[in-house]
Amino acid sequence: MNDLHDDADTLGLHFFGSMTASISHELKNALAIINENGGLLGDLALLMERGRPLEPERLKTLSGNIRRQVQRADDIIRRLNRFAHSAQEPAATSDVREIFEFTIALAARLATMKGVTMTVAPGSPVQLETRLFQLENLLWLFLKHLFALTEGNQTVEFAVTEAGAEVVIGLRFGEGLPVEEIGARVMREGQSLLTASQAELQVDASLLRLKIPKKGAF
Amino acid sequence: MRVLLVDDEEELVATLAERLDMRGITTTWVTDYRAALAAVEQEDFDIALLDVRLPEMNGLELKRLIADRRPAMKFIFLTGHGSEEDFKACSAETGREYYLIKPVQIEVLMAKLNEIAQS
Repeated sequence: MNDLHDDADTLGLHFFGSMTASISHELKNALAIINENGGLLGDLALLMERGRPLEPERLKTLSGNIRRQVQRADDIIRRLNRFAHSAQEPAATSDVREIFEFTIALAARLATMKGVTMTVAPGSPVQLETRLFQLENLLWLFLKHLFALTEGNQTVEFAVTEAGAEVVIGLRFGEGLPVEEIGARVMREGQSLLTASQAELQVDASLLRLKIPKKGAF
Repeated sequence: MRVLLVDDEEELVATLAERLDMRGITTTWVTDYRAALAAVEQEDFDIALLDVRLPEMNGLELKRLIADRRPAMKFIFLTGHGSEEDFKACSAETGREYYLIKPVQIEVLMAKLNEIAQS
């Protein structure tokens, strides 16, 4: 059991590191754009001092650009804050679809880099008693191996349904992906998480299906 | 001096290009590797400023493809990561420490461009 806990802790650290590195990169980009827009304002002010006219519309555009990037940076930090707190949360009942949407938002930049489009099928809330961080981590393992195996222009749709005492999470991939290999890698690397959550992973053509008990997972 | 700017953040690369243009640098900017390769087929550039983490193809791979087509071109890498691993990889690729971390100050970038142009 201790080995499983150690594995889960190591997986969790890798997950935390991957997400925070991606988030810091995204934040750096927002800061870089603010820096360039601020610098351009300074350049235009210098030119104006030398007699070149400056249209008010130009100033409004640059001001709007800066405000938009500040909002973007604020959104990124909010996500980071929520993610960091999820690692401290005890088991609680949560809406699985909402957790997926959050995890997808966390991994959005990495997906863009790999040319992957991720969607969550709409539907009613599906409640699961779980530790947030562990479920986020399990979902990340699927995304991580999808990103590693895709050659770009790929889609994945997440669907969440209820079946008796279980929650069924379906991941439907676009054509051309080695779905069985993704499933095999998740089972290998995420054994501790799958065991802890009493989850069962099934591979069916282009679909990976994960069944997790509604209560007592993780 | 003619400089090709490649970064997937359009607002960043367009604004940076405008600021370099104000300083007498002739720039072309693009946001992905395909457009970068098309640009070097059509125009002559002295230097390319490449984001390390581009979608679909990273800046190091893109540098090699551009260098195959334009052996005389020189390169500066731009990154938001700033990891030791990135620094070593980019320095090895250019043979020099032509590696800048976002956000970059325009004076620092101008100094690097002039240093490379004179080297």
